[in-house]
Amino acid sequence: MSFTHWLRRLAPLMVCLVLLVTACSSAPSKYDQVQKDTTGFGSPAAVDKKAEKGGTFNAFFPGDQGGYKVIPYQEKKGFAEYKLEQDGKTLAMLTISDTTGIPGSAEKYGTATQSVSGFPAVDQGTTATGVLVNDRYQVKVLSRDPAFTKEDRVAWLQKFDLKGLAQLKGAINPVPKPTVALPEAPTAATPAAPAQPKDGFKLPRVQLPRLSPSLQPAS
Amino acid sequence: MSKKIYEIVDKLPTGGLTVRALKTLDTFVPGQWNNLVGFDNTIKTVTGETDEAMVQAIGERAIALFNDKKQGYQSALWLYETVDSASGLLGAAALANRIGQDTFLGFLKNLSPKPEKAQTIDLAVKLVTEVVAFCKISGIPGDSLGDFLAALGDYSSESLIRMAALVSFDGIIPLGADFSSKALSAIKGMGASDLDDNQTFKGVKAEIPGGNDKAKLSFITESFESTKGWMDRFVSDHNITQSGLVDNLGGFIEGSKSKLDYLGAFLDMSVKYYEHTGTQTLARRLIERAVAEI
Repeated sequence: MSFTHWLRRLAPLMVCLVLLVTACSSAPSKYDQVQKDTTGFGSPAAVDKKAEKGGTFNAFFPGDQGGYKVIPYQEKKGFAEYKLEQDGKTLAMLTISDTTGIPGSAEKYGTATQSVSGFPAVDQGTTATGVLVNDRYQVKVLSRDPAFTKEDRVAWLQKFDLKGLAQLKGAINPVPKPTVALPEAPTAATPAAPAQPKDGFKLPRVQLPRLSPSLQPAS
Repeated sequence: MSKKIYEIVDKLPTGGLTVRALKTLDTFVPGQWNNLVGFDNTIKTVTGETDEAMVQAIGERAIALFNDKKQGYQSALWLYETVDSASGLLGAAALANRIGQDTFLGFLKNLSPKPEKAQTIDLAVKLVTEVVAFCKISGIPGDSLGDFLAALGDYSSESLIRMAALVSFDGIIPLGADFSSKALSAIKGMGASDLDDNQTFKGVKAEIPGGNDKAKLSFITESFESTKGWMDRFVSDHNITQSGLVDNLGGFIEGSKSKLDYLGAFLDMSVKYYEHTGTQTLARRLIERAVAEI
C-alpha cells in the first residue's frame, strides 16, 4: 500500500529526470544516419570527381521567351539551375544535373513509362518532372507556383536543347534501359549492362574505370 | 565534430532581438521576409513538396552536399557566422540579460560607440563577405563581381532582407543618409594597416580574395565601389531614412532615438542578422540543389 503510494509520488519526479537527461543529449533526428554516413574520415564526396562541370550545361537551357525570363541561379560541379520568372514572379526552376555518383538518381528512369522528346521521363513527388539524357544527365523542371502545372513542366522540358545535351559523354555506369529507345547513340556503349537487376545498389564504385574509352558520337 | 546543418536550421530563432530588428525592415521592403525556420519546414516551403518520403530524400541529399567541404557551403556558413561575431563588442547573451532588468539608457552607460572608421570598415567588410559567401553558395567564382552584381538585382526574401539590414543597420544608422559616399571616400583613403586593426576584417580576412592585406583592401574597395550604385538605389527606391529606421527600432529598444551612435553599437553586438539570414539563404540553395539532383 505505502509502496504504491510512494511510487505514485515518485513517478512524476522520475519522468522529469528522464526528460531532463534525454534533453541534454540532442534529440535523435531522422537525419542522424545520413549525417554519420557523410562525415568523418573517408566519407564519400557528395559530387563525383568525374561529374561534368556545371558551366557546360548552360548552353542547353532555354533562353528568355515572350514574357518569360530565364535567370541564372546556381552553378556547381555537376549542376546548373535557372529560375523561370514571369512579371517578377518565380514560376519554376529549370535544372540540369549529372547523375554520376548520386544513388538512385538515374535509376528511377529505368522504369519510366513516359517520354519527352524521346527521352525517358518521370514525375517525382508532386512538383517535379524530369527526363534522363544519355543515361546520365537529368533535366528537371520544378514548379514553384501552383498554377505551373505538369503540362507546363513538360512544355518547358521540351524547350531545353536535349539533343545537344545528348552529345556530351554518356553514363559512366549505365543503368538498365527503359522501354523507350534513345534517339541516337551508340548502343555498343552498353554491352556490360544487360544482366543487371533493377536496383541501383548493384554497381559498386569499382566499375568506374570504364569512363575514359570515350564513347562520343562524332558530332 | 562536424556541424549538423539540419540542427542549425531547426534551431534558428523565431523571436529575439535579431528577428525583431529584421522585422522592423518590413516597412521598407514589405512582404519580403517571413523568417523561415526548421529544416523540414524549409524543404516544404521552398519546394512546395508535401510527400514525406520526398522531403526525407531532399533533406538527405542537402545534408550530404553541406557535409562535402569542397562544395563551399561550410565556408559560406563560417563567413556569415564569423562576420557577425567578429563585429560585436560584447556577448549578445550578457546584453540580452540586461535588457529586461534596467533601462536601455542605463545599459548604454557601459557602452562606447564605435569610431566612424571602425564602423566604415565593418560595413565594407560585411559587404565583401556577402560577395564571397554568395559566390560560394551559388557557385560563381569568388572574385566575380560582375556575376555578383547581376545576382544582386535578383535578390529576394532572406538575401534581400540581409542587404536591407546591411544598408540600414551598418550604413544609415551609424553613418547617416550619405553613408555610401562617406564610406567609399574613407576606404579609398585607407591603407592596409588600417584594416589590420579591425576585428571584423581580422575575423574573415582568410576568405577575402587577395594575396595580402593590400590586395584584399583593393578588392574591398572595388566591391564597395561597384555595389554603391545598387545600395543608393535601394535606399531611395524603398524610402529608407534614418528617422524611419530609428522610429521602428524605438518600438522595442527604449530610449534609442536620441542616441544614434550608441544604437549602431548596440545593433552591432546584439543583432546577428548575417548569421541568421545567411543560414536561411544557405539552406534554401542547398535544398533547391538537392531536390533537382535526387
